[in-house]
Amino acid sequence: MNTASGFIKALESGTKHLFIKRFTLRYPEQKLKFVGDGYQFDPKKGVGIAGLRGRHILFHDKCTGCQLCSIACEGIAEAIAMVKVDEQWKQNKKSIMPQIDYGKCVFCGLCVDACPFYALYMTNDYELSSYTKQHLIYTPSQLAIKPIDNGDVELKIGSRGATHG
Amino acid sequence: MSSLDEKIDEAKKLSMQIVKESDEDKLMTLSVGPQHPGTGHFRFIIKLDGDYIVYVNIDPGYVHRGEEKMCEYRNYFTNIPHLERPVIHDSANITYSYSLAVEDLIGITVPRRGQFLRAITSELDRINYTLYWLAIYGIFLGHSTMFMWPAADRELVLDLLERLTGHRITHAFNIPGGVRNDMPNNFKEKCLSQINYLEKRLKEYEHIFYNNPLFRQRTEGVGILSKEDAIKLGVTGSVLRASGVPYDIRKVEPYDIYNEIDFNVQYMKTCDSFARAYIPFLDVRESCHIIRELLDKMPESGDVREKLLSNIKGPPGESFKRVESGRGALSYHIVSDGTSRPYRVKISTGSFRNILALPFLLVGSMLGDMPPIYWSLNYWPIEADR
Repeated sequence: MNTASGFIKALESGTKHLFIKRFTLRYPEQKLKFVGDGYQFDPKKGVGIAGLRGRHILFHDKCTGCQLCSIACEGIAEAIAMVKVDEQWKQNKKSIMPQIDYGKCVFCGLCVDACPFYALYMTNDYELSSYTKQHLIYTPSQLAIKPIDNGDVELKIGSRGATHG
Repeated sequence: MSSLDEKIDEAKKLSMQIVKESDEDKLMTLSVGPQHPGTGHFRFIIKLDGDYIVYVNIDPGYVHRGEEKMCEYRNYFTNIPHLERPVIHDSANITYSYSLAVEDLIGITVPRRGQFLRAITSELDRINYTLYWLAIYGIFLGHSTMFMWPAADRELVLDLLERLTGHRITHAFNIPGGVRNDMPNNFKEKCLSQINYLEKRLKEYEHIFYNNPLFRQRTEGVGILSKEDAIKLGVTGSVLRASGVPYDIRKVEPYDIYNEIDFNVQYMKTCDSFARAYIPFLDVRESCHIIRELLDKMPESGDVREKLLSNIKGPPGESFKRVESGRGALSYHIVSDGTSRPYRVKISTGSFRNILALPFLLVGSMLGDMPPIYWSLNYWPIEADR
């Protein structure tokens, strides 16, 4: 009797599941919406601002070429290299800026914590795949581009279960 | 006649060459692994007499990464990203005890709000880990529905972790001195609604999996680890609690905020595979209660992180801290010689302690009972090898 009721309950639970909405994100058509514009850090307060840790964004008008981000990456991924840029900025006498190799980066965001000049943040851009390793190396001019944020789907809980969108 | 004699002589010679069957020949040696016997690279060698296992030798070490040695070449902060790699889906707990040990060494305390955020991440990651583990348990026993459901419902927790920490796994969120960032707006409401929904789903798991007569028949009374043996073998976490020892480090040695949190230690006295499979599930339920309580008691505002120099020097000395992770006690012993890098870091994980019980449990049982016993030990090979 106990065995029969166990089977019946299991079947009932499975049947109930037929009427629950499908819990799938149809990825290339649907994209998730994230909190804020990505992970940022406030060096004055010493705490970060919550957000997705995706590709970096570099503000050329604030970067001083101090290499602190590169030093922070030592022993973690060693993905950041300081390269010469053609631009002339008053605060950046040496004209060097970080270049990030996303084949190595682990997206821990400790470089963002290290930047004292509000010059390096992270963004919601996570689609970084490429056909060659060379294309994964982002130069300072590529890092300056603000990504297009087109995610609009959020996880919702309704009467027929949790769904995306 | 002569030809017959020759034949008899020939037969006698041949019979001399025949090697008689020895006891050893009855046994079949079976190598389980090292390519993913379920999860992670790990091998155990089994000798079978018919359908019964008579000898087991475990052979871990295929995914050894040298985490302890790597710690000696990096400073206290840059250790964080590589230390969470062994258990990417329980990374909050593996960095929790490390951060506690470093804070103990330096002699600082984390701000109150930071302690709450740490505990919330720790509990969310415990749920995350256990649901993943449960999904694999399902597929181990051929129950593919139980593989799909937790794998999908894990999304509820992953979504919360992504909002809070910025990553679904490997958060790099706990850091010596506190946590990296404060929680975003509307996190509390979102967290409450998703955790409540998850609890509703857990009831369905009970109907389809734990109360399913098929699952019960395969696990009940299988792989008995008595209370005395469990203590002698030194198993921890859910395996110890399934053997009737109510030992939870959150209760016995409360760290951070856990002494203010009211929760029950889940334990069972049946000592079998079913108990070991059921205790982590009960822990998930308890974690849901703890998260609700933490969100309720959390101070409205305040600091979350004590600011430290990025190349802080630890004073000469030692520290030892442990937390209750998804797999049991996870402890760090850090020795410092006064420089900005640790002199020695010893990581002791629950996985490695639990797998030592495997030869003990498998000998004498049938081969068909091997999957439910092996996976009930709550073992994660990569964490055990470090």
